[in-house]
Amino acid sequence: MDRVLIKKYIGQSMLLFLACAFILFTFAWVRVWVGTFFNLSQYQGILDQLKEFEHFAPIEFSALMSYAGQVALVYDEPIVILCVVIWSVARGSDVISGELGRGTLEMLLSQPISRRQLLGSHAIVSIGGLIGLCLLVWAGIGLGVYTNDVDEEIPAPQVTIPIFNWEIPLSAGEPLVEKVPLADRVDVRTYASPTFHLFAFGFFVLSLATLFSSLDRYRWRTVGCVVGVYIIQLVMFGLGKAAKSLDWLLNMSFFSCYKPQKMAAIVGEKGMAGPWSLTEVSADLVLPPLVYPLILIGGGIVFYIIAAIRFDRRDLPAPL
Amino acid sequence: MTDSVEETADETDDPGAANTGYSPTCDARTDIVRCQGLSKRYGDFDALKDCDVRVRQGDVFGLLGPNGAGKTTLIRLLLGYLHPTGGSCAIAGLNPEVDSVAVRREVSYLPGDARLPRHMRGDGVLKFFSEIHPSGNRDKSHSIAKRLELDLRRRVAFMSTGMRQKLALAVVLATETPLLILDEPTANLDPTVRGEVLNLVREAQNEGRTVVFSSHVLSEIEETCDEVAFLRHGVLAHELKMAELFQRHRVTAKAPSTVPEIPDPLANSASITIVDAIGDREGRVTIDTAGDLAGFLPWINSLGLSDLRIEPLGLRSVYDAVHAGQKVAI
Repeated sequence: MDRVLIKKYIGQSMLLFLACAFILFTFAWVRVWVGTFFNLSQYQGILDQLKEFEHFAPIEFSALMSYAGQVALVYDEPIVILCVVIWSVARGSDVISGELGRGTLEMLLSQPISRRQLLGSHAIVSIGGLIGLCLLVWAGIGLGVYTNDVDEEIPAPQVTIPIFNWEIPLSAGEPLVEKVPLADRVDVRTYASPTFHLFAFGFFVLSLATLFSSLDRYRWRTVGCVVGVYIIQLVMFGLGKAAKSLDWLLNMSFFSCYKPQKMAAIVGEKGMAGPWSLTEVSADLVLPPLVYPLILIGGGIVFYIIAAIRFDRRDLPAPL
Repeated sequence: MTDSVEETADETDDPGAANTGYSPTCDARTDIVRCQGLSKRYGDFDALKDCDVRVRQGDVFGLLGPNGAGKTTLIRLLLGYLHPTGGSCAIAGLNPEVDSVAVRREVSYLPGDARLPRHMRGDGVLKFFSEIHPSGNRDKSHSIAKRLELDLRRRVAFMSTGMRQKLALAVVLATETPLLILDEPTANLDPTVRGEVLNLVREAQNEGRTVVFSSHVLSEIEETCDEVAFLRHGVLAHELKMAELFQRHRVTAKAPSTVPEIPDPLANSASITIVDAIGDREGRVTIDTAGDLAGFLPWINSLGLSDLRIEPLGLRSVYDAVHAGQKVAI
């Protein structure tokens, strides 16, 4: 790693980071705030009618009826995914094919730095930025949880008639509504594991983009290849969810390893340590919960290693 | 810096030293660049073939050749950007295939098309490169930029091509390495700045640094270089010491009635070409000489030539001959 290179890469990526950071933090905060407008129990009936579409959702609909489950939806929001993917693809594709395309790799590698140092310094900044962005989503959720209240109906006092077991309300007026701090209903620590999943997902895409970048000399082609793979994987995931006969496709899509909402649900069932288990398999999961993000991170590390070997061995063409 | 280079070169003289990848056949103390049978092949195409080049420490070494001749390929092989398909090379006794980082610690390189980070300002670029290279010198790069009349407050993205070239030159020339490799350093520069760059090259040489200078501008090579290598179709076609070139002359005159013969003592250092009459134009004889002209004058006088003209033979004629694939006398 090289301190000067790291400084240069930070300067180079700062604008993108600030833009993504602002969007992710603000969106997560606002999304939690907007969620407090809705009385969840009102939607129970609608969701019951949509039961046959439940297999398209990452978790059971019943989990969405809790505030914790609703807040966890932030991790599957297109804006959050888009920002993380933009950061990962932009930074990953820049490292080799980007510098080659701009012609700046020539001057950079004429300095006494090894190709691995260059790749490593770039990876530190990109991965550091990704961690920062994921933490900002969590921070935005935290801010939303600690600054918002939710309206909850206080059930009217009632009496139960013995033998018939009837419950008769003692008041005929409007039910009482009280404001409850969201923090009383949602523990922000629940989202440590979903945040880790978001990082693992971003890391996989980042390393995939880095791998393509190490093979190519044009950034536009690198971006095209990564986005192509991303879309194919997304389609495979969608088809696997849609048709029972195609559910084997789910095993071949990295989207199957991204389960932030499920992790939040596991916290509700098994406590804070639940999503971090490497041994205990939860309901609806084939593998222990921590294995999923580790698959993404493991895949990402393999991509990085291949990228480093390829970059080391390849000839660097003169800029066009 | 020079001492450390000599130390490294000494080490490679040891038969057990495998770093250079080839057994030294020349004096490692004086050769800072050595290539032996260096080749680079892309499929059926030879970008460089069996190239043997030696650059002596302290020289300004010119690389000449038309586009696609293999000059840049040679430089990129020396710096480890490309992996050779045959032969080997060493800079200061270090093989770029084994340790290209150590090689680049000894070299400051200006690419043919130097492109710098566009998001930085000029002074930021100088700071960055002076920090990243252990031999970088920020003050010196600032003073060179000042000599080249460069505005360092401007962002690279808003600089003209010539300004970027000046900025790259300030980076490269200020880095105090024993070897400078300049690939067309005066491209895109106005004549005044060109002259300044050539002065800087001479200054670098006076400081004891070696310069490898690739250019298409023959006059610049003539002005600055001690030795020149001509590349053609990826092959080292000719090598020439400039001191020898300055001893070459061309005598042209009206063709005599009888074809002159070169006396035996001068046979190895002169050649005669007769051009037959074309239309109304009379035929002419051309006599190229190598070595002290005084030795040729009595013989030339004895030929009874008329309309005689004697001129120093410039690099241009050698370049043209090499380019045309003709044999060059020196």
